[in-house]
Amino acid sequence: MSIIKKLALVVVSLSLVAVSSVSSAKPFSPKKPVELIIPAGQGGGADEIARLVQGVIEKNDYASKPVIPINKSGGSGGEAMTYVKKKAGDEHTLIITLNNVLTTPVNQPELGIDFFNDFTPLARLITDTFLVWIATEGKNTAGVETFDDFIDLAKGNGLVMGGTGSMSEDELLLGMMRGQFGFDAKYVPYSGGGAVAKGLVGGESDFTLNNPSEQMGFYQSGDSKALVMMTPERNPAFPEVPSSYELGYPDLEYYMMRAFMAPAGIDAEVEKYYTGLLHTVYHDDEFQTFNIDDGKLMSWLEGYGLKDFLAIEYEKHGEIIKNFN
Amino acid sequence: METIGFLLDGIFTSLQWFNLALLIFGCLIGLFVGAMPGLGSVNGVAILIPITFIIPPTAAIIFLAAVYYGAMYGGAISSVMLGIPGASTAVATVFDGRPLAVKGEAMTALTAAAVGSFVGGTVSVILFTLFAPPLAEVALRFNAPETFALMVMAFATFVGLGGDDVPKTIFSILIGLALSTIGLDLITGKPRLIFFNIPGFLHGINFLVLAIGIYGIGEMLWTLEETKGKVQMSKLSVNMKEVGRAFGALKKTIMAMNIGSFLGFFVGILPAAGATPASLMSYGITKQLSKNSKEFGSGVPAGVVAPECANNSASTGSMLPMLTLGIPGSPTTAILLGGMILWGLTPGPLLFTQEPEFVWGLIGSLYIANFFTLVLNIALIPAFLMVLRIPFAILAPVIFVLCVTGGYAPTQSLHDVWLMLLFGFAGYILRKLDYPVAPAVLSIVLGPLAEKALRQSLILSDGSMGIFFDISEKPIAAVIMYIAIVLLIMPAFGPLYRRFFKKKQTA
Repeated sequence: MSIIKKLALVVVSLSLVAVSSVSSAKPFSPKKPVELIIPAGQGGGADEIARLVQGVIEKNDYASKPVIPINKSGGSGGEAMTYVKKKAGDEHTLIITLNNVLTTPVNQPELGIDFFNDFTPLARLITDTFLVWIATEGKNTAGVETFDDFIDLAKGNGLVMGGTGSMSEDELLLGMMRGQFGFDAKYVPYSGGGAVAKGLVGGESDFTLNNPSEQMGFYQSGDSKALVMMTPERNPAFPEVPSSYELGYPDLEYYMMRAFMAPAGIDAEVEKYYTGLLHTVYHDDEFQTFNIDDGKLMSWLEGYGLKDFLAIEYEKHGEIIKNFN
Repeated sequence: METIGFLLDGIFTSLQWFNLALLIFGCLIGLFVGAMPGLGSVNGVAILIPITFIIPPTAAIIFLAAVYYGAMYGGAISSVMLGIPGASTAVATVFDGRPLAVKGEAMTALTAAAVGSFVGGTVSVILFTLFAPPLAEVALRFNAPETFALMVMAFATFVGLGGDDVPKTIFSILIGLALSTIGLDLITGKPRLIFFNIPGFLHGINFLVLAIGIYGIGEMLWTLEETKGKVQMSKLSVNMKEVGRAFGALKKTIMAMNIGSFLGFFVGILPAAGATPASLMSYGITKQLSKNSKEFGSGVPAGVVAPECANNSASTGSMLPMLTLGIPGSPTTAILLGGMILWGLTPGPLLFTQEPEFVWGLIGSLYIANFFTLVLNIALIPAFLMVLRIPFAILAPVIFVLCVTGGYAPTQSLHDVWLMLLFGFAGYILRKLDYPVAPAVLSIVLGPLAEKALRQSLILSDGSMGIFFDISEKPIAAVIMYIAIVLLIMPAFGPLYRRFFKKKQTA
């Protein structure tokens, strides 16, 4: 394995050298369909955004060649990342991120993925956050009105939390909350955020940490309610849900980023082209409206700002994983 | 009464010329993607989602639902004509559909598939129309322990599937189960059984890769050896007598239709199950309960009707949790769900009241789509039958190419193509040694579902198996579990059971 790793590093660094020495001025445009790798299954949050981006590009002819989403969901994103790593220098491959790009390289060192050198970050379009949800008629959470009520209840009782799978964002968050508030819960993994939401309303779990869109249907029908949103400010899609800052828990802040990356070793012109394309998509009216209605935060970030953000998030996740174990 | 008004509106909506044109177009695309090995309704719907951004949501869902639906019909075509499952939902159709075609009764098999699909589709859409809200409640209460009980029931029916040789059947089931554990551990999130760290194993063994390998490649090798390349399947004539015979054969499949329609629908409404497990379970149970269960696998129309009826019924059923709970009942509805969200609709308990035109337009279109796909299918049977006139020397390479593309398409990785070839040889050897392969295919589909449900349940119960048998706490799970145990024991007491059953009938 280590030989392969070294070889890959050599290849990557060689191609970097090659790229920096031959910087042509000719503007790039794709010569064949662009593969958009999704490190998660069909129908999930990342898949949804990827297909939205594909649709917006196709509908408005933003690109000369089509974008083709491909799901590689194996190994918590490990399969997708290994694939993109092998595509170093390829000008027709992109990957959309979940936070598993931050956790999987740490959790599965045997994959030999170097987050900072195997990818070229292009842009962050959206951040999604999490809320603490309980069922309106939850039998174990009756009488819970506020997040503080919930903490008190959770401390004494082993509540059941539904989540999207081991070492996924919500289990790490549970670990974070365990450290901050001193309660633990029995974690039951489901397949996908939708199933988690249903498990809550169906009475199998007592609380969940879902994305806004995953609970939207049950929230609107009054079957579930949110206690806190893990952001500095309230979200217009959930006007009555307090932010964690308001409640005096600024440490309870967490984001899921929807960013796009290319393989390592691509030409600066190529990087510029894709960043520009994503920028056009970002400012598309339909793209904006859809995401805002869905409770997502529009948060464009590119260049050094993005690199700093990724470095901070990578470190933060490393910390969470360490505490978790 | 109100419902009927909404439904009529929905039917009229889907009969508007634009919607109707999309519906027929969608059915045709569906037939094609369904019939092409490796391309199934999942791929078809995923590829077409972007097109739907430019048309209104109601038209979009009618179009995509028609694709979904057409694919359920289409899968049967290559299962019967080529012996390669056209889609994962049509794997069980190979079990009896292929032998029928080899016997020269392809006409009967195709007719059975088309009519079975129509019956399943129609029964399920009627159930959907009448009982959608209360059934959503059932789906909501159907959690991990209930799902596991259902899976045990499915496995119980498989034991009887491989014929008389129970140890060989169990061996085959275990091979399937072992293969299904490769990939990602569902609970710890860690990779598991990744041989030699080959990244291709990270996504597990795709079930279609196994099915196409065993049935496509394995069958081809078998045919080559048996016939030394001199395959002749002539004496095919399409005349009224043949047509009459084909429809006549359906008389014996009433039980299969009932089982397929109702079981398919209920499995369909359960989250995360979908049409593939539904068709396999329906086949297993129909065989188990049939009076001539020994003949299953050698080409009986009921063995085609049961899975085809169930996969259409389940595909309608799986739209129920999608619309009312916002959770997909199958991989294809997961994509449809993504589409709905992109069209600006919020799936959930309020969708029926907030967007009646959309929901009833969809339901109405299912009635119409069923009718048109039946007509299209029956009309196209003579064209499908021409495949059988192609000499084997030409057909074999075509089948091989279709198998390779079919193995490649779902994950776009060459790793799976090699794996498929390997399974092809393994399947051929197992067949030479007289091992049944169907149970292995079944258990690789249901293995992950069963494992997940079992482990979720055991986390909830702190490790106690009592959670599956507690009739006061989890009545649904317990009842299904007891039925499963009876089904498991039944083959052992088969003769006894049959005598009892006959007595009851005459009494």
